Amino acid sequence: MKHFLVISKGTEYIRIPADQLVYISADGNYSEIVTHDNRKRIVTIQMGQLADMITNQLGEAGDDFARIGRSLIINRNFLHSIDSAKQQIVLSDCCGCYYELKAPREALAGFKAYIEEVDKNERGR
Amino acid sequence: MNEVDNFRDDEFRVLGHHDTKSPVPGEPTRRTRLAASIVSAILVIALGVLAIVFWPKEKPVSPSNRNSENAEIKQHSERTNVESSIFSTETNASYTERIDTTVNGLSVSIYIPHNATAELMVGKPNIADKDIILIAQAADIRGDNYRILGAFILKGEPLSWGRSREGYCAIIDGEITVGTSENSPLFEKATETEGYFFRQFPMVTDGTVAKTAQNNETRRKALCSRNGQVFIATTAEPAYFDDFAQALAALGVDNAISLVGSSTAFGWYINAAGEHIQFGEDIHKYENENYILWRQ
Repeated sequence: MKHFLVISKGTEYIRIPADQLVYISADGNYSEIVTHDNRKRIVTIQMGQLADMITNQLGEAGDDFARIGRSLIINRNFLHSIDSAKQQIVLSDCCGCYYELKAPREALAGFKAYIEEVDKNERGR
Repeated sequence: MNEVDNFRDDEFRVLGHHDTKSPVPGEPTRRTRLAASIVSAILVIALGVLAIVFWPKEKPVSPSNRNSENAEIKQHSERTNVESSIFSTETNASYTERIDTTVNGLSVSIYIPHNATAELMVGKPNIADKDIILIAQAADIRGDNYRILGAFILKGEPLSWGRSREGYCAIIDGEITVGTSENSPLFEKATETEGYFFRQFPMVTDGTVAKTAQNNETRRKALCSRNGQVFIATTAEPAYFDDFAQALAALGVDNAISLVGSSTAFGWYINAAGEHIQFGEDIHKYENENYILWRQ
């Protein structure tokens, strides 16, 4: 079943396949949604509301998304590398889609530990 | 919703139904946060008193330059004549004075235009225009139709309408008024006198921090008036709206409204040495981007 994130506000209606949404970043009053085709769309919805929309609309598919700090939501399926010392997270499909993003050190360190634990559990199955 | 809105920068959370919140080592308890808030509040008050006591007391602005708005309409504002700046020196040179300070642990830069007249413009500013000594983005752009958010008047011509934000700046005959009001007669006056008007979030109203729904962290900018002096203040680092507003109030600002923030918001100033110093990025996404500027 295909899952979509639907944003309907004012005169605008946006429908994004969950598996094509790479990340969302916040800048001031705006949030920028970046999709796999390298398109960027700015919406006047704050991060907390977008995080709620992902949780409420995508169901289990929402588990693929993680909020890291106040200003970044990523799709974990595109996670390529984390370097908490450099405060850097890279999202890539190793096939033309590549984004280097900045995130707070503490949040990245916690997220890295979580991902390592998930990987370990999956390998143990 | 509230739980998400309180999200901190040192947290991560897996969204969806899994909804795992990060166990951040050393995460402060509610009690320690409350204690920190109380200590911060005491510090804010103490710094505010110090700022009032030690801020240089300049000669008062003449009554003719003060706010003379229609008293029947209750509003809070401060009017000043930018050409009789209380910071004016004996020189007639036009430049922007920059003062860096720290309030409540927040690094704040203050940009004070001297011997210049304020106006608004829409579109990409000409970086080669040497007459502009200070310029910063003013009203926000709507995300749905990319028009200017809130009422906006450019040289007497209304380009946009709306009262979603109660803070306003009016420039009538070279005089700037910064204030908070749902209905300001200065909107109509700006249309009658080839003036300028725009709206933004109020940050400080009559010396009191304004309430806001803004809770994100970003580089902040504000248009402020204090004892008749109008200037722009910015944070050096990302800051919460309330923290910045409290810092401005502690500095003795009477009225302040936000300007377009973020680290990319474009602008520049000319310092006393005549150097052109840019802030933000020279990237222009929207044809309706608009600026408040001071021209010599």
